[in-house]
Amino acid sequence: MMLDAKVRRAQRRQVWAHRLGRNRLFRTLGPFVPVVLLWWIVAEAEVFPSAFFVGPDVVLSEFGELIRKGILPSYLSDSLIRLRNGVLFGLLIGIPAGFVVAMSYWARKLTWPLLMFFQAIADIAWLPIVIVWFGHSLTAVTFVIVYTIVFPLMISIVSGVEQVPRDLVRAARSLGASRFRVFTDVIAPGALPAVATGIRTGLGYGWRALIAAEIIIGASGIGFMMFDARRAGDVTHVFVGMIVLGVLWYALDALILAPFERSTIQRWGMVRTAEVAR
Amino acid sequence: MSTLEITNLHKEFVDVYTGETVTAVGDVSFGIEQGEFVSILGPSGCGKTTVLNIVAGFDTQTSGTVHVDGRAVDGPSPERGVVFQSFALFPWKTVLGNVIFGLRMRGVPRRERDVIAQQYLQLVGLEGFERKFPHELSGGMQQRLGVARVLANEPAVMLMDEPFASVDAQTRRKLQEELTGIFETKRPTVFFVTHDVDEAVFLADRVVVLSARPSRVSEIVTVPLERPRQWRAALDSAEFRHTVTYLTDLLAGDEPGVPADVDRA
Repeated sequence: MMLDAKVRRAQRRQVWAHRLGRNRLFRTLGPFVPVVLLWWIVAEAEVFPSAFFVGPDVVLSEFGELIRKGILPSYLSDSLIRLRNGVLFGLLIGIPAGFVVAMSYWARKLTWPLLMFFQAIADIAWLPIVIVWFGHSLTAVTFVIVYTIVFPLMISIVSGVEQVPRDLVRAARSLGASRFRVFTDVIAPGALPAVATGIRTGLGYGWRALIAAEIIIGASGIGFMMFDARRAGDVTHVFVGMIVLGVLWYALDALILAPFERSTIQRWGMVRTAEVAR
Repeated sequence: MSTLEITNLHKEFVDVYTGETVTAVGDVSFGIEQGEFVSILGPSGCGKTTVLNIVAGFDTQTSGTVHVDGRAVDGPSPERGVVFQSFALFPWKTVLGNVIFGLRMRGVPRRERDVIAQQYLQLVGLEGFERKFPHELSGGMQQRLGVARVLANEPAVMLMDEPFASVDAQTRRKLQEELTGIFETKRPTVFFVTHDVDEAVFLADRVVVLSARPSRVSEIVTVPLERPRQWRAALDSAEFRHTVTYLTDLLAGDEPGVPADVDRA
């Protein structure tokens, strides 16, 4: 009897754990609960002076205030428009350039050292010269974002094309596909997992580059808001900015990147979900 | 005139690390008649896959000729469809998408290719799976799809490169029986590479035995078995066992002291 009850309790616990694990809201917000709690405790205990470290309650009310005044929405839309421009041009340049380099033996031989060289120069390292060239302008910001997106994207595409199994190309050729159809029907979809990874890393870099650019050359935007607040000695705005950055990236991933990957490479069984992390 | 005619095929390649010239195929000549099933049997590494790759147009010979329907082979072509050991199905295409791939590439109108696709899916027992993706099928089903994809294209010759080597033993037997069934209904011309003696004999009308590297044709054996064939009956038949024993000895003689099937996949 005792054992029976124990087993049943264990089963109930398992069922609950399973339900919680499947609940989207819990899965999304759950991990943040202890972080926010810790944050709040540290702030309440005044481990650091309140001029340097503010609690979640202060940040939340300031967040509301910034929205009410219209500052946050306007800065946010400025940042997002810059990101959109940068990403758009970055993809427009990076995807075709990546495939050209990947498909042509000579293009690869000739450009690979250049790719490695330019990828190594960090986005921020370009800012001084970009400011000289373009001034404190939107063009300068866009340039830096495009720059950071293009190189990792090209490199992922090249390695993605290399990883397309040789037999798939051979099968297509011996079924009557022309070289062009091999590209559109085999190489391009076959490289998609790598392209998706490239876009993900590229976007991540671009997002960071944007904030860096705004901090240094911006007159608006989230990065500017944070740096401006630091100048004014207002820690709360810096906190708000940091949280907004994190939330936005999470939303971008959950709303655009992840669904895209689910409906393509996961649907086709081209990525294995790690058994270890089940 | 044979459908496939291989004459004095010779292939050398240079080992990129040692710089040595290696002869993969010494001197291979044989032909396959229209509607004939021929197994190419030889020890691992004897160059039989190299021969297949040259016939498929994936690789080029150093000397010698390959003719299909009287035309010299020059690169891959839909008249020489290939069934791969790795299946090589397109993971982003559904079962239907894979079967109609060749027809689409050749510009067959949609309505027509759907009819043909249905016919071949039925032939390999995959009707009802049209909308599945390859990774949702078992290994056996995937290779049946690989066969349907090639046959739907109606090639002059179907090239098969150890197509059943990566499925389990039970499934392999089943697939071999199904393949003979398909062969008996459709009568395609088949070039079947294997290192499995039983498989070679069970499936083929003739078995071309290649020697170890540098490979030559050591013998061409006609299989004295009636069609339709079934494993049960084949294993009971003295002709089948005699042919298998004969070929096993032949292969063993090639590599002294090593049983022929020691490196079976």
